[in-house]
Amino acid sequence: MEKFSFKDVLVTFAGLLITAFIAWVLISATGNNPSEVALYLYEGGFKGTRNIANSLYQATPLILTAVATLISFRVGMFNIGINGSMYVGALYAGWAGYKFTTLGHFTHVTVCILIGMLVGAAWMLLPALLRVYAGVSEIISTIILNFVAVLFVSYMANGPFRADPIAPATPRILETAELKQIFPNSQFNTGFFIAVFVAILAHFVLNKTTFGYELRSGGDGLVGMYPSRFSSYLGIPSDRSAIIGMLISGALGGLAGAIEVLGAVRYFFQELEFNQGFDGILIGILGKLEPIGSVIASLFYGAIKNGGFYVDYKTDVSREIIIVLISILIFFVSAQKMVKGLEKYPLIKKLDNFFSRKKM
Amino acid sequence: MNKDIAIHLKNITKEYPGVVANKNVDFQVFKGEIHALVGENGAGKSTLMKILYGIEQPDEGEILINGKLEQINKVETAINLGIGMVHQEFTLVPSFTAPENIGLGQEPRNSQGIIDWKGLNKLVVNIAEKYGFKVDPSLKMIDASVGVQQRTEILKTLYRNANILILDEPTAVLTPQETDELFTVIRTLVDEGKTVVFITHKLREVMEIADRVTVMRAGEVQGVSETKNTSIAELASQMVGREVFLQVKKDDAKPEEEILNVEDLWVHDARGLLAVKGVSLNIRKGEIVGIAGVEGNGQSELVEALTGLRKTSQGSINYLGENIASSSPKNIRRKKIAHIPEDRTNTGLNTQLSIWENLIGNSYFRKPLSTNGIFNLKKIATHSNKLKEDFDIRAPNISLKVKSLSGGNQQKVVVARELSEDPILTIASQPTRGVDIGNIEAIHEQLVQMRDDGGAVLLVSAELDEVMAVADRVGVMYEGQIVKWVNPKEVDQSQMGLYMAGIKD
Ligand SMILES: Nc1ncnc2c1ncn2[C@@H]1O[C@H](COP(=O)(O)OP(=O)(O)O)[C@@H](O)[C@H]1O
Ligand SMILES: [Mg+2]
Repeated sequence: MEKFSFKDVLVTFAGLLITAFIAWVLISATGNNPSEVALYLYEGGFKGTRNIANSLYQATPLILTAVATLISFRVGMFNIGINGSMYVGALYAGWAGYKFTTLGHFTHVTVCILIGMLVGAAWMLLPALLRVYAGVSEIISTIILNFVAVLFVSYMANGPFRADPIAPATPRILETAELKQIFPNSQFNTGFFIAVFVAILAHFVLNKTTFGYELRSGGDGLVGMYPSRFSSYLGIPSDRSAIIGMLISGALGGLAGAIEVLGAVRYFFQELEFNQGFDGILIGILGKLEPIGSVIASLFYGAIKNGGFYVDYKTDVSREIIIVLISILIFFVSAQKMVKGLEKYPLIKKLDNFFSRKKM
Repeated sequence: MNKDIAIHLKNITKEYPGVVANKNVDFQVFKGEIHALVGENGAGKSTLMKILYGIEQPDEGEILINGKLEQINKVETAINLGIGMVHQEFTLVPSFTAPENIGLGQEPRNSQGIIDWKGLNKLVVNIAEKYGFKVDPSLKMIDASVGVQQRTEILKTLYRNANILILDEPTAVLTPQETDELFTVIRTLVDEGKTVVFITHKLREVMEIADRVTVMRAGEVQGVSETKNTSIAELASQMVGREVFLQVKKDDAKPEEEILNVEDLWVHDARGLLAVKGVSLNIRKGEIVGIAGVEGNGQSELVEALTGLRKTSQGSINYLGENIASSSPKNIRRKKIAHIPEDRTNTGLNTQLSIWENLIGNSYFRKPLSTNGIFNLKKIATHSNKLKEDFDIRAPNISLKVKSLSGGNQQKVVVARELSEDPILTIASQPTRGVDIGNIEAIHEQLVQMRDDGGAVLLVSAELDEVMAVADRVGVMYEGQIVKWVNPKEVDQSQMGLYMAGIKD
């Protein structure tokens, strides 16, 4: 994959500046004070233990969905159904959380997480098989499955798994199934460390193992390029890579959902709404399809998101505006061409040369 | 000849991270001439032309068109100045017909602003006729041959009123017949008053078509000459920077025991038609067997069958006494059969991966490159850097994406990888396509070295010169069959031409 270069730093910086300008205009137009909003955005994202904890909490599922996205992309599959995996993973982790009553804490949490991952992976099996054996575009099948997932979990929460006669929700999970919340008044929980660990593991597996090499030999930057002639020419079964990549991707989506339920929400209910599966696509791309890059991007995104909630609470700028601004930011940050002409300046060129120098 | 100067690039310097692609280049083209720009891959030819065409901006230097200083900072400006460029990689919409591609963005419209398709077709056919080539206005580009696609690209520039045409390695993808047709087109263009810049590294073509030639090496101009005052040998040494042996130096083969024995092999192509019809051949240790023939006579399918990329329908492929017909590519590779495929960019390489990641494709699973599935990156770096050195892959470092290498260097990555694991049998298909002279020489030497070290080599090539010079025995393939076996020392080119056309005796 492409490594980060000085140009990326420049683009990000320029993107921030432009977004800040647009934000200033937008917020002024709604009759608010931009510098006040900026202050609250900063405070909500970064100031004090509780805000930082909440920012990290927001980042947790994003890390996982971003890594889920980048893994599928890097095997050459265009998986945009991670949100669906997240829903079913959350539902079944929640189910396991109240169903198994005799397990100890560690075992119970592990079982719940594994079930969430398994269901999330299973959710991706159909599109993977359809792609490999019938040539059905995974883009289309995973989009459709996103809709199916929402309807499916709401049916389950309403019917088979419903506990509460008033609200369509599952029973609360048992204490033995909880991921511990560490700070008072914050939903930040140990799931964050699982997410970071998964990202580091993904980095290691993708870049430093033969298994990862086989997975990405056919894709890696060639998104949607399955089936790859290069893999089959080398004797690496690209069908297997495509299916495994999709399953891992789904499992991580399921894990994101499981952590939400086990660590924060503590039960599954019909109105529970996820969109991190979609945000993960943006963040994965923003992180250059590298796990570590995606963690950094997720932390940033999580902080802005939490800052947005704070702004919403403190001022009458709604959090939707903040979401709009994040989108604008991503739009500009991915606008690589923006700095294309700059490389003719000697200083920029020197810096770029310096930053793109590699070890190997 | 009219000595007005159509193009004058003055003192052009262009630097990419880690490489100076053009260094104080001075390049002049007279009005109405065919000017060849030659140089090895990576010499900076495309970069220079991209600067002229407004795709890249020079760090230093000036551009004069018809004597006037011009700032060409976008392609539009170049087009308005009457410059047209046909890129090495075509830029056609596959699902569009020739006129749709040619008119794209500048279609004639009627008074309601609706595209006048009939008018467009007529316009295109008229231009084509003027320059003496035929177009089929209903043929989609996806179904068109490479030659037709290329003519469509040329028409696209003429439609936009180009007076100066830049053709970047136009013959790299053409068969000899298509090349002849292209040369006829180029001559007509010049007769009609156009100026043509023709980029290539095939010196025979330069001598045949060009009036003058500029040679580049490592970003610098090495010399400008009139073709009638120079020779292939002189141009070759300017290009490579040393004397070049145009003949392959090798001793007679000393073949030993049989390695491969193919018997009555039948193979279907992707469309389900029979492509290989009962081919038998054998290769012994210590010899190079060549397969000559015009492309599309079943060579690709034969190679794919031998390497496991295509199922066979009938017959056997006996390798060291074992039938490997329809075996998997993985099995075949593990038996030490190497494969240099004809399709470099999609099959032989993943151009999005780095050089080292491409170099370890056939060895990543073995010690010491990996242990228990975990890469030993230090060992991999040593291994890859050694291959980079041994095979003279020109790149600042092995972490660079293969995408950013020139075609010749990309091919060297493939060759380096395939020859690196001590293959018993090496199957090389069009191994020097799109590769420049210096590197062709190197690749030929490496194949001969394989042979002398006791390897068996199958060389499939549409370049007659190549098969004749490198192989010890040559089979001529025509319509899925080997119609003739010859000793390359005992036949001449014209005789071979007849065999290649299917005339047996
Ligand atoms: N966009 C680019 N970025 C970095 N290096 C480049 C780029 N384009 C070309 N180069 C490098 O510049 C040199 C000249 O390339 P090019 O002009 O394509 O050579 P040619 O057309 O003569 O084969 C090569 O070393 C190549 O790797
Ligand atoms: Mg070139």
